[in-house]
Order: sequence, then C-alpha cells, then structure tokens
Amino acid sequence: MLRYIAYRSLVALFLVWLVVSLVFLLLHLIPGDPAELLLSQGSLAADPAAVAALRERMGLNDPLWRQYLDHLGGVLTGDLGTSFRDGAPVAEQIALRLPRTLEVIGAATLLAALLGVPLGTYAAVRAGGKADGLLSLLSSIALSTPVFVVGSVAILIFAQKLQWLPAGGFVSFSEDPVQHLKLLILPASAVAISLWAVITRMTRATVIEVLERDYVRTARAKGLSRAPILRRHVVRNAMIPVLTITGLEMGTLIGGTVLVEFVFNWPGLSGYLVSAVDARDYPEVVGIVIVISMLFVFLNLAVDVVNALLDPRISLVKS
Amino acid sequence: MLDMPSTDTPLVQARGLGRNFPQRQGLLGRARDVWAVRDVSLSIARGETVGVVGESGCGKSTLGRMMLGLDTPTRGQMLFEGRDLASLAGAEKRRLSRRMQMVFQDPFGSLDPRRTIGAQIGDGLRIHQIVPRHDIRAEVARLLDQVGLPSAAAERRPHEFSGGQRQRIAVARALSTRPDYIVADEPVSALDVSIQAQVVNLLMDLRRDLDLAMLFISHDLHVVRHLCTRIVVMYLGRIVEEGPADKVFGAPAHPYTRALLSATPSLHPRDKDSLHGVLPGELPSPANPPSGCPFRTRCPVAEPQCAAAVPDFRTLAPGWKAACIKAGA
Amino acid sequence: MTRTTRKLLLPGTLIGLILAVIVLAPVLPLHDVRAMDVPNRFAGPSAAHWLGQDEFGRDVLARLIWGGRASLFIAVGSALSAAVLGTLLGLLGGYFRGVVEALTVRASEVILCLPPLLLALLVVTILGAGTGPLMVALTLLYTPNYARVVYAATLQVRALDFVTAQMAMGAHPLAILWRTILPNVMPPLLVQMSLVVASAMMIESGLSFLGLGVVPPTPSWGLMIRAARGAMEVSPLLLLWPSLALAGTILIFNLLCDRLQAVLDPRNVTAGGALWLRKGPRRAALPAVPAATDGPLLAITDMAISVNTSERSLELVRRADVSVHSGETVALVGESGSGKTLTSLALMGLLPDQLGISRGQALFRGRDGRVTDLAQLDEDGFRRFRGAEISMVFQDAAAALNPVHRIGDQLAEALRDTGDAQEISRRVVDLLRHVGIPDPERRQRAYPHELSGGQRQRAMIALAVANAPRLLIADEPTTALDPTIQAQILHLFQKLKSDTPDMGLIFVTHDLAVVAEIADRVVVMYAGEVVESGPVAQVFARPRHPYTAALIASVPEGAADRLVAIPGTVPPPNAMPPGCRFAPRCAHALPACSAAPPGAERPDPARITRCIRWKEVT
Repeated sequence: MLRYIAYRSLVALFLVWLVVSLVFLLLHLIPGDPAELLLSQGSLAADPAAVAALRERMGLNDPLWRQYLDHLGGVLTGDLGTSFRDGAPVAEQIALRLPRTLEVIGAATLLAALLGVPLGTYAAVRAGGKADGLLSLLSSIALSTPVFVVGSVAILIFAQKLQWLPAGGFVSFSEDPVQHLKLLILPASAVAISLWAVITRMTRATVIEVLERDYVRTARAKGLSRAPILRRHVVRNAMIPVLTITGLEMGTLIGGTVLVEFVFNWPGLSGYLVSAVDARDYPEVVGIVIVISMLFVFLNLAVDVVNALLDPRISLVKS
Repeated sequence: MLDMPSTDTPLVQARGLGRNFPQRQGLLGRARDVWAVRDVSLSIARGETVGVVGESGCGKSTLGRMMLGLDTPTRGQMLFEGRDLASLAGAEKRRLSRRMQMVFQDPFGSLDPRRTIGAQIGDGLRIHQIVPRHDIRAEVARLLDQVGLPSAAAERRPHEFSGGQRQRIAVARALSTRPDYIVADEPVSALDVSIQAQVVNLLMDLRRDLDLAMLFISHDLHVVRHLCTRIVVMYLGRIVEEGPADKVFGAPAHPYTRALLSATPSLHPRDKDSLHGVLPGELPSPANPPSGCPFRTRCPVAEPQCAAAVPDFRTLAPGWKAACIKAGA
Repeated sequence: MTRTTRKLLLPGTLIGLILAVIVLAPVLPLHDVRAMDVPNRFAGPSAAHWLGQDEFGRDVLARLIWGGRASLFIAVGSALSAAVLGTLLGLLGGYFRGVVEALTVRASEVILCLPPLLLALLVVTILGAGTGPLMVALTLLYTPNYARVVYAATLQVRALDFVTAQMAMGAHPLAILWRTILPNVMPPLLVQMSLVVASAMMIESGLSFLGLGVVPPTPSWGLMIRAARGAMEVSPLLLLWPSLALAGTILIFNLLCDRLQAVLDPRNVTAGGALWLRKGPRRAALPAVPAATDGPLLAITDMAISVNTSERSLELVRRADVSVHSGETVALVGESGSGKTLTSLALMGLLPDQLGISRGQALFRGRDGRVTDLAQLDEDGFRRFRGAEISMVFQDAAAALNPVHRIGDQLAEALRDTGDAQEISRRVVDLLRHVGIPDPERRQRAYPHELSGGQRQRAMIALAVANAPRLLIADEPTTALDPTIQAQILHLFQKLKSDTPDMGLIFVTHDLAVVAEIADRVVVMYAGEVVESGPVAQVFARPRHPYTAALIASVPEGAADRLVAIPGTVPPPNAMPPGCRFAPRCAHALPACSAAPPGAERPDPARITRCIRWKEVT
C-alpha cells in the first residue's frame, strides 16, 4: 500500500516537473520573440525600447538553459516572480486568493455529493420509472447549461427579482461570517449544479451495473435483507468510480471557476488569472498556471490513493 | 496413416523454446523473471497431430503462439522447414504465414462481428492470391462446404451463427490459405459436448484428407486422447512427459500425468473412492518456481533429491520420454 | 423502423434543423447583424424583429443565428480535427505499444495535466483572442481525450482473436488497422465526438463570455450573454434568448451522445431497476399444504418458468419434475440453454426480474417439518429460507464474492443466530478450515483476489454451508477449474455429504463424467424440459431417451473412432418445435413425435423418460 502511494507520488512529481517545463517551453519555443509577442497588440508593432527593457527584465538575453534553470529554481523556492502590472510578488497574490477559490469548490462538491449520491441511487433502483425519467431530464439540463448562464440567471432571479441574496462580491469570513456565507451561496450553487448532474448520473449508472453483479446475488442468497445489501454490497462498491469522477471533476474546477468568479465578482485565483491574461502579465499567468496544475496533479494523486484504500485490488495490480 | 514414413526434417521444430514475461516490482524495483515456457523442444511432422495438455498457467497457450510465430521466443529457436522464424523479415514472414494457420478457443471473439463471413474467409485468399480474384466467391463456397456449411453463409455476419458453426467458420478461414500446419488452441473447449463432437470429427477428417501437421492445445484429456497421435504433457512451463497417445495415457510414466489422468472425471468411474487420491495443493507461481523438479511440491512420490536439479528426460521407448528420476524405474 | 433509427431520430432531426439554419444563414432573409438602430434599443419582440433588439438596437434573431454559426463552426471544426489527430495517435499507440505508445498516447496525455479551461486560456494568452487561436486551443485540448478513448478501444479489440487471426493470416499491420481495428473502435469514437462538440461549445462560449474568445463585432452566444448581463434589469429577455440557444444546443448534443451510447451498448436497455429491492404488496398467507410424515425434501412438479414481457409470455422452462430426498445427490445435467441453471435459481427466488415461475409446484420440507410451496413465495418469504434452509454455490466464485470485502467478513455476514465478535470469528475460522482452506486464521483476512481459483470456490462453499442448510444447490461449481483442482472440489463435496448425511444436494453441471462421479440420481434437461431422470448407473448404462443416449455417445471416451455428433443446434426459446423438442435433431424421430409433446413414460418405477420410442432406444 505504502509502496503504491510512493509510486503514485513519484509519478505526480514527474508530472509537475513536466508541466513546469511545458509552460516554460510554450513561451520560449513558439516562433517569434516572447517579449515582442507579449507587448504587441494585434497588428500594432511593439515599441523596440520597451521590448528591449522587457527582454532584460525577463532574462531573455541569458542562454536558454540558464533561463530554464532559473525558472525551475524559482518554482522550487516558491518564488514565482513579480507582476508586470504592479510589481507585487505573484506568490503572495496567489496565497491570498487560492483559499477563496478552494472554498467555492469545496462547498459546491459537498452540496453536489450530498444530493447526487442518494438521488442517483434512488434513480438506479427505480430505473425506468417516472422519478428516474425526471431526474434524468433534470441532470441532462443541468449538464448542458454553462455555469455562466446558470450564474447570470440566478442573479437575475435571486438577487434582482426576489432580492433574497446579494448579486456578488466578497467579504472575508473574519469580517462578517453571515454576509460571507450569503455571498458564497450563489457561486457555490452555480458550480454545484453541473457537478450534481455528473455525480447523479455516474451514481445511477454504477449502481445499476453493480446490481447486476454476481456478488449482489450472493448477498441475496445469504438471506441478507434489503438495507444491508444496498449499503454494504451495492453502494459501497458503486462509490469507487463515483469518487474517481468527483475527484477528476474537482480538478477541472480548480481552473474552471474562472467563469463563476467573474460572474459573481468573487476575487479568487481564477479571476486573477483572467485579468492577468487580459493584461498579458506573463509572470502572473505562469505562476497561476503552475500552482493550479500542481493542485490538479496532486488532486489526481489523492483520488488514486483514496481509490486504492477503497478497492483492495488496486495496489496489487500496480505493484 | 499412423505408420506414415517420417521425412528427414520435421515440418515444424521447436528447439529449447523459452518465453520470459519479466514483471517489474514498483517503479524502482528490479524486473523479476517470469518464465511462462522453459526449454521446450518439440517437432511435428506432416500428418501428425500433437496434443499439448496441461492445466491453466502451464504455458501451453504461450507455446502455441510461439510455435506459430505470433510471439517471439526469449530463448531458443522456432523452425519451419528448417528456417528460423525470428530471422525472417516482416514481408517474408507474412508470406510464410500462408502455410501456418491458427484456430482459436473463443467462438465469439475469433470472428470480426462487423464483416461478413465471406469477406473474412476471403481475406487469406486475397492476401496470398491463392485463387484469381474472380474465383474468390467460388473458393469461399468450397471452403464452407468443406466444413459443412451452406454457401449462403458467406453473405451473413457472425452473430447469425451458433458457437459450433462459428468454430467451423474459423476452421474454414484457417484452411483458406491451404496451410501445411495448424495450431488449434482449445478449439472445442467453449462448446457444448454434442457440438464439440461435430468439430472434433471435422478436425479428424481434415487431418486425414489434407495431411496437415497440427498442434492441438487442450485441457481436456479425453478430446486429446481421441484426436492426437502424440501427446505432450506440460507443467509450469516445462514438458514433463512426451510420447505416443496410447503409451502416455495407457501407462503414464510421470507422476503428474498419472495425477492428471486420475483427476479427470470419467463416465465409467473406476471406483467411487477414486477421488481420494486427489493431488494436494495448487500450481506454484511461475514467478517463484520450486527448485529442481517443478512438480516436486505436489508430487506423491517426491524425494529430497528431486529438489537438487531439474530431472533429465528418460527415454522409456522410442519417442516416449518423461522428466522424472523415477520414470521407468 | 429499427430501434437504432427510432432512438436517434429525435436528436438527429434537431441537429439537422440547427445545422440547416446556420448553414443557410447567408441566404435567409435576416437583418444585418451589425445594423444598429440606437433609438429602438432594448425594443421587445415585434413583427420586424421576432426576438426584439439588443442594446444597440441590432436584431437579436439574426445575431442568434450568426452567433450559432460561429460557435458551431468552432466546436465542430475543433472536434473533427481533434478526432482525426487523436484517433491516429490512439490507433498507433494501441496497436504497436512500446515506444510508439509512449510517443503518441502518453505524450498527448501530458496535456491532461492542465485543467481544460486553463489550457485554453494559456493558448489564448500566447496567440491572442480570436477564432483561429480558439480552434487551436480546443483541438489541443481534446486530442488526448480521443487518443485515450481510441487507445483503450484499440487495446481491447487488438486482444480479440479475430485480430490475432488477421496477423496469423499475414495481413499487413496497416491493413489490419484500417480494415479491422478502425471500424471496431468507431462506436466509442462517435460517442466521444458528440460529447466533445458539446464540451467545446461550453468552453468556447465561456471564453467568449470572458471576452477572450470570438472577437466583436462577430456575434457569438457567449458575447451576447456577456452584453445582456449589463442590461439584465431593463431587458431580461436579451439574457434569455442566447442562454436558451446555448443550453439547448448543448443539450441536444448531449442527448445524441446518450442515445448513441444506448444504441451501441444495448446492455443498458434491459436495466429496469431492481424489483427485489422494492417492497411489494404482501402476498396473502400461503395455503396450508398437507404435510405427510415422510416425503422428499424437495418435490418439483410440472414447474414452468416464463419471461413476462408485455406482448406475450414465453416459457423458458416447462414440465420440470425433480425430486430430492434428504441425503441424496441429484445431478441436473444439460447443455447451454437447457434451463438447468434457471431451475436451480428459481428454487432460491433468485431468477432475474423479468422471469418468474408461471406454473407448477416446488414443495420444500423445512427443518420444522412444515412443507412450503417455493413457487408461491415472494422476496420476503424467500429470505427466511435462503442460507438457512436452502443455499447455493455459484459457478464463478471470482464474480460471486464481493471484491472489496474480506473473506472472513463476507462469511460472518452469512451467519445466522450469531454470538459476540469472538464467537463469530471462531465460527468463521472453523468454517474455512472445514472446507480445506489452509491457515484459516490468516486467510480470513484475505480479499477474494488474493486467493487462488480453487480457494475462492472453497470460500464460496463455506458461505453456502455456513448455516448447515437442508438443501445445497451447486451450479456448475467446478466448470471453471482445472482438472486437479476440480477433483479437490468434488472431493470436498463428497466430504460435506458424509459429514452432513441429511443434506440434499442438487449438482448442476454439463459434464456427464462429473455426474457419474458424484451423483446418485440424474435429471437430464434439454431445451427447457426434463427429458429423462433416474438412478445414474441405470441411466448411463441404458439410457431411455435418444438425447441422453446421443449425449453419452458424444463424449470422447472409449474406443469408437468417430464420435457421435448430434446434428444441428438447440432451438432458441422463441422458436421451439411443436411436440417433442428434440425431434428435429433426433435419429429416431417419427411424424408422431412432432404432433404432441410426449408424456412421461416409466420404464422402471425409479425412472422417467419423455420419449414415445423409449423401448427402441439403445
């Protein structure tokens, strides 16, 4: 088991290194001068003096291997450089905003899982019935509606028409816990909707599959009653793929809350990224991308480890 | 036909074949040797059917794949008409494959569900240009007739046939290139007994009519005994006994052959207590085989010296040998 | 109309309509998408502007259609280019493995280390906003998805024998890829394609919404929603139209994906939930069955098992007559499709949901001497018997044991009237030792996959005999095992029988030789009917039904040079011949055989045969 975790961790570290290098390469191996590319606006040529200054600042005049080592060294020591826009250290900004993004994702996942697993199980047991049809329709719609549409419509209904909740913004928890939570509800729900759909559908599909398995028949043959069969032999086994997919979805959310943060004016990491992209602030973009990718990779690692804990077959297969 | 004169070089000859599937332990762990087949030498002449028997994990399927050139041996040589298959280049090997064909176990996996029977049987005819293009239909019809199916079957797809019929189609496909040598890997194991008899009879007819060399792999001793002229018994990747069918089954020399025979249920049980002589234990892991004789851990007559070295083959009669220090004693 | 067309008709038509509208956009009588009409900004729907006018007074309908054109062009275009690229990588990687796999599939998977939207943003940062960069980003994004799907499918197809047969045939690898593998990986590829179009639209609209995608003044749904947000209070309809269009289109593509999956993987169709999990209405109290003082443990008379479809009911098993006395071993023997497994499942109430006992009786004498008709029991009624009085050993122990629970726990779960934890643990260890599992104290902590095939079957048997049942049903318990292990398990059954002399055993098998080794009496089934029964020695020595006789003669044992093969195949349940079901394949058949089903004949008080010519059978 420990061996398996160690193995997966090594793979994860390797992937992080790969991403860090990839980001570096992306900017240096594409044709053209990165500095010029960053400064030019559409067809407008950049000012040569500004380009030269930027080249100096980015260390573009050093040999490539030197730049790569600097880049790698920076990442290792947690130094992600300073912003072009205001000269503030990028790492500090990320440390400030990351928890806010994670908070939205965490709340959304909790909400989605608490609703999705029981509903998905119910739909599976009643597959083909009316409730199943309704849930299937609802989850299809939820899955097909982009989060910024959900968010915009939610603001229109709950903030502007009904005026139950604030339309957006952020207040830190220590400042005003109630307002903080009120502000959290809409963004978290908007994110939760599509995640709920994924979890419900996945739960339904795997529970149906597990119900057909021989070991469920064995459990019936033992004379067990419905509740323990459902709990110990059906849901327990069906949760393994559901957890995997939830973990993977959370991973995509780490970079995908951009839209929600934009819609609800939530000052998280992803919104920071958009403004950085908009301003073509290279150090900021690189820093954020690296941090998010690391989170993504380590989340996948966590999913693997949890899976191995739930499914005793895994560690044997891999080692 | 059993007394057919043997030619100088056998058609198919395996020399000291070995196949290793190294398994890596973790990322940094050392690769561990797992020999599926070890040091197997075997030759098959025209008109001869050699049966390979053994339980799952004994390496018989791996041996079959190597003896058809589908898998490359880690050690040893696989010769067809004296030519080493490993030394042949891609195109030359593909040309030679016309003369060597295979019939598989699973009647549902061995045919492409998306193409008609005629197209699949015709593949070999086209690839090796067995007959002119405009004669392909007629040739497919002839092949189907040979395995006892109507020529209308050519237009249909595999799902319209039963397991036994699919297996005949697979045989027709193997015959399409007019091979000299066929490897049949458990071709009747997935079939019901009444259907199994149909296919076994078909294979017997073909051997007689076409003078084929055949390697017949099976775990069913009764079928092997019925169909084969020579028997090879395998255990944990090695041949433990080889000889004429009546000798090996009539007076088995190796204790494993004896155990296998007495473990095989019979319509006419020798006596109700025959099951009391069952072999204890299970097949050791090929990753960690016992020292010396591979069978000694389960052998009822094992002695300390069995652990010392892999026993040499003892010749009991011409063409009959067993790898046991007690054989023939 | 086939099921496939019926399923795909709705999403297909809708997608066709959408595509027609956006392709025809240049020739449709639409307003100019850029023509402003500031005085009429935010005007509601009118005859000239069906969906109203936006914040610059531009026509919303025209912008919606042209916006859809942009969105779908990007989504479908990148889905296609990614499909081509990914399929190529996946096919090559999956077929050649090794270095090629590392260079294709594994290399493309590096992209999956980045969250999708993030990657798109990164590309846009470098290349700038616009349609071109968007397509590059999306293609890059989805190529690994396709590569993975195709790779997995290729691996699966490649391992199938028909591909190996092509290799053995000497076909060129590229020919195999093109002719054999590609068509077989098409289904998952199509599903993936519809999924990617939906997902690409999601990302494209999101980026446009952020102002990083399609560049104004080109209309796009994402941009329209972005603009409408500012005027949400004035004109909520402006937000509604593009939102509906976007969500609706994505919904249709998702629907297509679902339907494709349902069509290509028909397993999903039969799933109708689990009826046994629902509490049904309580059945009326069972009619009291007169209990004779001594009678068989189990007496099945004229039992039929039918499929309950809405159209008609189809009898899969009929005229099943089986009786088992306590201490007796009865073998139920037959080929696939004979109904032997269904008959045994019916005794446990474990028939698949669509099947049920439609006729006859199955009288079981319980431990307390009372007789119950198993054919009348519902799920709750059966539960009292399962495990405690009747229990079952299943064929495939690897599938019949839950992979995520320890052997000991699964065994403990089966125990009735349990004591404290220590008592349970002691009983579990005793049971495992009883069935011959070495080192049971340690082995009870093992998971099923850590045991060998033979040991798993032993654990399965331990489960079944945990509560010393009166009747044990073993469904092909040795079929998947090797001869030496099969002998061990048969030996174990004999030991169990001698340890518990009162237990009745029904041994279901297709192997006549196993019957000869283990059973006292044999019941031969063919095409859902019992054709012959009697003491094993007598039946095998002198069969009284042509099917039994042919079956025995087809076993390759003995001196006969040619085996007796029964011509033809077992008829499918929906096309059973009238009269004797074996008549079409029978060498002794007469016209009378096909006239009416033969009745039960008794050549001997202990034997039954259903053949009108039983006297002539040799």
